Amino acid sequence: MTRRLGFLVLLVAAVGGGAIWACVEQVTAPGSCPNYCPTDSITIRDTIFTAIIQRDTSFRGYVPGYGAEAMTAADVPGIVDSRAFLVLSKAPTRVQVKGGDTTTTPIISDSARFRLSIMRRDTLATNLRLRLYHVPITSDSTSTFASLDAAFNGPVVDSVNLSALLATPPSIDTVRADSLERRFYGDTTYRDGAGHILALRDSGRILDVYFHFDTLQAPVVEADSGQIGFGFRVAADSLASIAIGTAQSTRTAFLQRFFHHTIPDTVSTQPDSIVAANQTQTPAFDGFVFTPPTPALDSNLAVGGVPSARALLRVAMPAFLHDSVDVVRATLVLVPVSAVQGVASDSFKIVVQHVIADLGAKSPVDQTDAGTAVIHIGSPDTVNLEITNLVRAWSLDTTQTTAFVIGQVPEAASYTEIRFYSSRAPAFRPGLHVTYVKRFRFGAP
Amino acid sequence: MTVIRRLGGWALRAGVIAAVLLTAQATRLSAQDSQFGIRGLGTPGKLESVRARSTGGAFAPFDAFSPLSDAALADVRRLSASVTSGITWRSVDASGTQSSLQGTRFPAMVIAGPVTRRIVVAGGFATYLDRSFGVIIQDTVNLRGVPQPVTDEITSDGAISDLRLAVGARLGSRLALGVGLHRITGSTRVTARRSFADTANYRTSTAKDEVAYGATGGSASLLFDVTSDLRLAGWFRSDSRLRADVGGHTVSENDLPLTYGAGVQWRAGAQASLAGNVLWRNWGAVQSIANAHDTFSWSFGAEIGSPASPFRFGLRGGQLPFGVGKTPTEVGYSGGLGRQFAGGRGRLDMGLERLQRRGTGLTEGVWTFMLGLTVRP
Repeated sequence: MTRRLGFLVLLVAAVGGGAIWACVEQVTAPGSCPNYCPTDSITIRDTIFTAIIQRDTSFRGYVPGYGAEAMTAADVPGIVDSRAFLVLSKAPTRVQVKGGDTTTTPIISDSARFRLSIMRRDTLATNLRLRLYHVPITSDSTSTFASLDAAFNGPVVDSVNLSALLATPPSIDTVRADSLERRFYGDTTYRDGAGHILALRDSGRILDVYFHFDTLQAPVVEADSGQIGFGFRVAADSLASIAIGTAQSTRTAFLQRFFHHTIPDTVSTQPDSIVAANQTQTPAFDGFVFTPPTPALDSNLAVGGVPSARALLRVAMPAFLHDSVDVVRATLVLVPVSAVQGVASDSFKIVVQHVIADLGAKSPVDQTDAGTAVIHIGSPDTVNLEITNLVRAWSLDTTQTTAFVIGQVPEAASYTEIRFYSSRAPAFRPGLHVTYVKRFRFGAP
Repeated sequence: MTVIRRLGGWALRAGVIAAVLLTAQATRLSAQDSQFGIRGLGTPGKLESVRARSTGGAFAPFDAFSPLSDAALADVRRLSASVTSGITWRSVDASGTQSSLQGTRFPAMVIAGPVTRRIVVAGGFATYLDRSFGVIIQDTVNLRGVPQPVTDEITSDGAISDLRLAVGARLGSRLALGVGLHRITGSTRVTARRSFADTANYRTSTAKDEVAYGATGGSASLLFDVTSDLRLAGWFRSDSRLRADVGGHTVSENDLPLTYGAGVQWRAGAQASLAGNVLWRNWGAVQSIANAHDTFSWSFGAEIGSPASPFRFGLRGGQLPFGVGKTPTEVGYSGGLGRQFAGGRGRLDMGLERLQRRGTGLTEGVWTFMLGLTVRP
């Protein structure tokens, strides 16, 4: 009986132990090559396909200047003079005396505070000045640099030296200093004796500039339904270029008007009462004009400008890239026709987006960026765009449209535009630099 | 009518046993791996039960549950099934680079039963070639003018199995013959992966596939009792070319070796047996592999004690078919125990084996714990 029990314990231990060990498997070891490695090895190839980009072209008109998320004011002699403007929305010029009574009384403007946000600037700019002008409230998408030139050369409504303002001692909100709000809304402000206030947002990258206007600077014209238009020019010792937030961005300009009106005494039992109030006006239209204007499209591939241009490139994938290799890196190589001129802070990003269906200019695109590159002002270097995931997807799925669009980000917010040589220029045509792994020869000893 | 009834009952019981064993152990069917098989067709499996392997393989030609010899089936008196499993711990020294590996295998199963007094039919599987391995290779390649560190991992998971249908017949009191038909089949799941140190710009490349193998073969063997205590064995086997298919297309065809060998067993009394055998295989006929070698192997072992609970030990030596330069060698020793239970209807065998393999620039040490179960319903 004891022997049987002992043997049973041995059996259970052996089977149980085996079951536990059976779960562990480790068969991979560092290879001792070539003697004790598989005959075939993983082979990698690197090829520049110079003729793979075909039927490439550019189209313009995707985003107009007034639809951009920023508007550029710049003054770079010999390169560009860009001026931004906006027309504020209509606002009541009269108010009802009391509820249920149709009698109205005019508002009497006391003052106004105007805010605009500078989304981008060159931090190396010195003596950077921002000047405000009145522009006609009829300014709209048909306005041109020439048509607004008179307004921009008229009397200056207000002017602020941003560089000087930033050089003044800051006022720090100690209540917010250590709070979460500080990181979002900022806590540092600068002010000068003319009523200008400058607040830093987003760790100093965004500047909110507040102007204090009197009734002459921001008059209420009843005939204009309270509308008013402002134009903006910049000047600096150098690098005079800023981007101002528009109604399409999260930091649109606005004007807050402080006014009062009088409620007359209708029963002669008490004196007239004065009511103080304020109202806010946001832009009904904003945009910018610049000279020289964006040149017309030519045989090259244009990306950017105003209205924005995009380049559509079609790729003739070789059959062997579909079925016998694994793409590990794919780089689109583009040669600029010339360096983009301007201010360094006007450098911009271009993105590659996959064309879902090739319908020419109106091709729907996948909004996911398949590749990005930053175009630096003044750099004539070849632009490399990593589009590995896109080419891998094409390699695996032959039903996909092998085309993509290159666009600027943000679009139409600046005078900047880059042009690349197209497939019409054999020596500089776009190429695709593909690194791929050849299919492993399985089954061989 | 009696024969038909016996055949029906045999088939039913064999089916039940096969289902139970396969359900319980339906995992990988492989022998022990070796780095020596990577650059060849694989690592040849050992066609031995735990009992035979505990004796260094010496008892394999005389053991009905070792798939080596078909003639030994003639001694099976009732429907029986046997399964072998093994766990290996392998240490590899490749030119100074050490690594430890581990695997669990089920290298052999045999189901056998008499259909008449003199004829026994058997079926089962064994590992013909093991092709489970993985190698990691680190290198630096020049890509786009920049040295780029890469890591390659090539793995193969699977084996080529030998499905056997065999008949053993006793032609007289001294002579038994056996013949077998073999279907060599199996598949390996293979992966080749290259990853780059620069993960920002380069994506990992992974290629996966499944390679299916196929061949057929035949075997013949005999047992001859010189005296009641001395038995001789001889066997021969030939296989067709081994075809490797990927995605339905044949990618390679390789010759398989002729196998022949002889053995002797001596019963030294009621509680001791000694055996030894030699085996040749002309792997050198595999033309497509540059470093294939003919192999010779030998083994000697003993089984001591009562048949119900014997103690076994053995020695083996030989060569491995694939390796650069000089033919790699293999030396091993093993020992084990057996125990019958349930009135002789079941038997549990355990064994421990140590193998040492040596080749040009590579040394392997292998410990294998083996567990075998034989049932006779």
